Amino acid sequence: MSAARRPQPPTEFPPGATLPAVSAHAASSRAPAPEPAPPAGAPPRATPATATSGTATSGTATSDTAASAAAASDTAASSTAISGTTTSDTATSDTGASARTTPDPGSPGGAPTGRALRALPRGVRRDPLWRLLPLLEVRPRRVAAAIGLGTLTLVCAIGLAAVAAWLIARASQMPPVLTLSVAVVAVRAFGIGRGVLRYTERLASHDVALRGMAALRARVYAGLADAPGTPSVRRGDLLARLGADVDSVGDVVVRAVIPAGVALVTGAGSVLLLAAFLPAAGGALAVCLVLAGVVVPWLAARAAARTEAHGAAARGRVSGLALELLEEGTQLRVAGRFDDRAADLRAADRELDAVNDTSARISGLSAGLASLAQGLAVVAALALGIPAVAAGRLAPEELSVVVLTPLAVFETTSGLPAAAVQWHRSREAARRLLGLLDHGSGERVGETRPDLPGMSLDLTPGTVTVVTGPSGSGKTTLLMRSAGLLAEAPAGGAPGVLFVAEDGHVFGTTVLENLRVARGDAQEHEARAALRAVGLTPWLDALPDGLDTMLGTDATNVSGGERRRLLVARALLAPARALLVDEPAEHLDADAADDLVRLLAEHARRTRTAVVLATHRPVPPGLADHEIALAPGAGAAR
Amino acid sequence: MICEGWGIPSGASTRKDGPVRPLDPRLRHIRPARSYLLLTVGLGLASAGLVVAQALLIAALLAPVIQEPGTSPPAALFVGLGIAVAGRAVVAWAQERYAVRAASRTIADLREQVVAAVATRPPRGAGGRPDGTGVTTLVTRGLDDLEPYLVRYVPQLVLTALLTPALVLVVLWLDWVSAAVVAATLPLVPLFMVLVGRLTAGASQRRLATVARLGDQVLDLVAGLPTLRAYGRAAGPAARVRALGDASRAATMGTLRVAFLSSMVLELLTTLSVAIVAVGVGLRLVEGQMDLQPAIAVLVLAPEVYLPLRRVGAEFHASVDGVAAAGQALDLLTWADGGTRAPGPGSGELSGRTASALVFTDVSVRAGDRAVTAPAGLTARIPLGTGRPGDGRVVALRGPSGSGKSTAVLVALGLVEPDSGQVLLELSAAEDPGHARGSGDAPTGTVTVPLGEAGLESWWQQVTWVPQRPAIPPGTLRDILHAPTGGSRGAADTPVPPSRTVRVAKAARKTGLDGVLRVLPNGWDTRIGLGGTGLSVGQRQRVALTSALLDDSTARPLVILDEPTAHLDWRSEEQILDAVLTWRDEGRTVLVVAHRASLLAIADQVVDVESRPVPDTSPTDTSPTDADHGAAR
Repeated sequence: MSAARRPQPPTEFPPGATLPAVSAHAASSRAPAPEPAPPAGAPPRATPATATSGTATSGTATSDTAASAAAASDTAASSTAISGTTTSDTATSDTGASARTTPDPGSPGGAPTGRALRALPRGVRRDPLWRLLPLLEVRPRRVAAAIGLGTLTLVCAIGLAAVAAWLIARASQMPPVLTLSVAVVAVRAFGIGRGVLRYTERLASHDVALRGMAALRARVYAGLADAPGTPSVRRGDLLARLGADVDSVGDVVVRAVIPAGVALVTGAGSVLLLAAFLPAAGGALAVCLVLAGVVVPWLAARAAARTEAHGAAARGRVSGLALELLEEGTQLRVAGRFDDRAADLRAADRELDAVNDTSARISGLSAGLASLAQGLAVVAALALGIPAVAAGRLAPEELSVVVLTPLAVFETTSGLPAAAVQWHRSREAARRLLGLLDHGSGERVGETRPDLPGMSLDLTPGTVTVVTGPSGSGKTTLLMRSAGLLAEAPAGGAPGVLFVAEDGHVFGTTVLENLRVARGDAQEHEARAALRAVGLTPWLDALPDGLDTMLGTDATNVSGGERRRLLVARALLAPARALLVDEPAEHLDADAADDLVRLLAEHARRTRTAVVLATHRPVPPGLADHEIALAPGAGAAR
Repeated sequence: MICEGWGIPSGASTRKDGPVRPLDPRLRHIRPARSYLLLTVGLGLASAGLVVAQALLIAALLAPVIQEPGTSPPAALFVGLGIAVAGRAVVAWAQERYAVRAASRTIADLREQVVAAVATRPPRGAGGRPDGTGVTTLVTRGLDDLEPYLVRYVPQLVLTALLTPALVLVVLWLDWVSAAVVAATLPLVPLFMVLVGRLTAGASQRRLATVARLGDQVLDLVAGLPTLRAYGRAAGPAARVRALGDASRAATMGTLRVAFLSSMVLELLTTLSVAIVAVGVGLRLVEGQMDLQPAIAVLVLAPEVYLPLRRVGAEFHASVDGVAAAGQALDLLTWADGGTRAPGPGSGELSGRTASALVFTDVSVRAGDRAVTAPAGLTARIPLGTGRPGDGRVVALRGPSGSGKSTAVLVALGLVEPDSGQVLLELSAAEDPGHARGSGDAPTGTVTVPLGEAGLESWWQQVTWVPQRPAIPPGTLRDILHAPTGGSRGAADTPVPPSRTVRVAKAARKTGLDGVLRVLPNGWDTRIGLGGTGLSVGQRQRVALTSALLDDSTARPLVILDEPTAHLDWRSEEQILDAVLTWRDEGRTVLVVAHRASLLAIADQVVDVESRPVPDTSPTDTSPTDADHGAAR
């Protein structure tokens, strides 16, 4: 199709376009949240995971009203907004019940496994996070720089404690003040250096993470676009999940990889420092660091994983019930079932409570152990150091260093439980993303399509074909296959054959740009003409900014019927040799529906386009050149 | 966002316009939150004592050994230190253990309250579905932000209030000079943070909004992939996605450069203060103005003084969302308490009696988001059936899309209060002449009662309503339809009488559900999930219609169908018509919202519904409240 070759992106953005409102779903946390600074000696805390279960909340579609807002315009960049919610039902309503499931399209080239990874053990290579990490296109140099800066930050913190301890002990022996001057300067320098270094480290690590997210987003998009079959990630919750998953995988760098790297380097350094004074104290510190840096994070991650695994069902039920009560509340009240469902919600919440409570036991243990590890390190240093001083193996001021340094060292490990939890979450996110990339669509599972052996459409220019048949008889399948959009068709489909889906996407951009999806060079007068043809002129006139009015996927300024017509108007603009229109009359009353069908027929005759209409209601007589009646269930009868 | 369609102030706007309250005082009304706060205060006090004890014990153990190498400190001190260390571990354990639990219960509590408060609101606009996406997001995900807030932020806030002053006092007792340094620098920390925060807040907010938008655009493209694919343009936007990502990174880094400034100030001030204390103590030690033991204690305590404050700062970002979510939820609850209630159960004049007619008198409802009144001036009298064959009738609501047919149904159900006009129920006067006023319009021998006073619950018990998107209780189809109560809980346990099975099969044949059952792999045992998952809308509708056919016809004289044929093909349409006629023959009134000629053809009475534009308002400013809320996002 010639439209495919056009260079313009589908959503062109005229300079100075009004920026759209931000939808509720996506606004949650796109940017990596500034990661908290782990404070010195803080008992690490584990956060039990809050698993969002998107799957269980399906069915009831959330309508996302993207009201246009007077948004700040500090980017001239663009004007697409999301509000990615479509009623999932429209997607399934026409694909009947039993039939075979769509064949697994197999693995697309979505997740290239880097050469470097081949050196890793099999288990690691299979780990979804390891498979996705190359997609972040992270440069090791940048990560190393961030780890270096983080290490220096902690060197300042630990150095401050160690030197201050030495300074005080030495000072108490009342040496000449001059002998202390280096220590005094060092303490002050560490005091300043820490804040500054931390700032640079955070900027460096977030830069790495954001680069990763940008790359990953692009790769995921490209992966979805290349996937065989028609990928559809349309439902709001799934879409928001996709966004959150990408962010979560990106977060692994800033919240897990870098803190772990820093902890490893500084932990080892501190052990060596203490070992230089007193080997036994170094050993004791090492044991305590392993406790705080390995066991504690492991427990924290386990608690999080537990909550996710056991809580997912309860959480899904809670969300589902809450949604049902909110969306169908009036129905339930009229039917007298409201109180029952409210009690169900309470019960589901109790269940979730119980799961959280069990995990809280593990994470409580983890928090307690972290605090204990630090205390034990100090006690051990005292217990080992005091006899060593008595035996003359350790200078008194060195004892001060050996005892007081551990108080600062555990800042190193305080961020690790959160890092472990993040690692776990990122891995789950990576698993979902890979599933999406590998299977082309998150919604395919369970979707059934009737088998239509040997059926094909006659696409003679200028003819009108009407495909009728009850729901589930395979009208949509037939059209999509003819347009080359199903998995078995070669990518790129049938050139010049345009499938106009019942639930086509209205992009979060202007009316004009939405029409230009069909043809990038469509002029304003052409757009107006197309809208006039489908009877949308009154609607267009009522829009505040005419063709430049922002639309959202399910924006409030487009009703079901207007949306249908807008999609047809877009199709009319496409330079296609065949238009395959699925249910052009849905959401329209009888007269408007007939008008639209007539319009499409005229379009066929005038422009020598083949037009195929799939509909479950009769079309006005005399319009169709061919009629194909599909029988209920699979198969066809002419 | 919360405000969307609900006409209440948005949490987002408080977040933007005013300072975030660190602790919403209204939280104390939530019981789990209150007891948790008490526990946290207790643990905070214990923690303060243990920190001080640990510092003093370390100093007491260390100082003599440094001053006179060879001395060995009393074992009691070691034991004491061990106890302090163990005590701190226990406090840390208890805090985490109960914080998570309390957070989970608080969230559940708030969720239940919000759902109960919102779900009983009148639905807005035509279509009968509340469009409060913000509320949905809040109860499904937003409230979860409360967890980090309660688990991490609140304890640090409490510690800042308890531990910090206590430690300053201890340091004062040990060494007044260090205490002076600490006391002088402590206030600088919040001061500078607020200053930096003030200076940068606007820029950060704007940039973050940009970032969110850029991210949204990518998701919009992903959502539109099938469409792009159909137009053969799926590959084009890949470069655009990358460009958007880079733009997003640039914008975010700009924000972070500024946002991290405040944390740098925090780190700088606290670490530098510790350094100043250490150097000061060291220099006074050299000059013999101070003893070693308090010096060590001060050195150990100094970082601990700043620790809670630093962690409040560090957790601040993580908790902003939680504060906002709590604010939104609490705002909603306050609003629900004060706002106009949905039409309540009413005084119940209808209870125990059956309505004989439904009367619309000049009913007009202003459409929420459009400059139209739909329906406008609807006047009709709809006699209700009695359940006796021959009394039934089919009443069709006719009108173009958007004329307010569905809204008229909501008004008839008492779910939407008309902006003008009235809905009345005619009751047979013979049954209870004591109540109600006579009405000149009504046929002789009847009295009319405004719907609002009739008792909605009693009214609903006389109505079977099948909306456009029927809600189906979860369970197997067998449970849902065979249970005499229509699938309420526990119904699965009661044995199904054979007569019921025959009726169900008959009803299923009538609505075409039998055809659906044939293609479902599990037939009657097909399990329907929450929100009807597992069935398409058309299939759900058949289930709802079948269930409606099984209702007791004398108890529910009115059946309301909203576009029953919208999702069905003509063959199924015939079946629906059959069902409608069955109801009529049973002596019930079927009020049906009709698009198609076939339904209008069998109607005994056609009610025309029209919309009228609201004069003197342009489309952009018809709903100033909505526009405001849009801007507040």
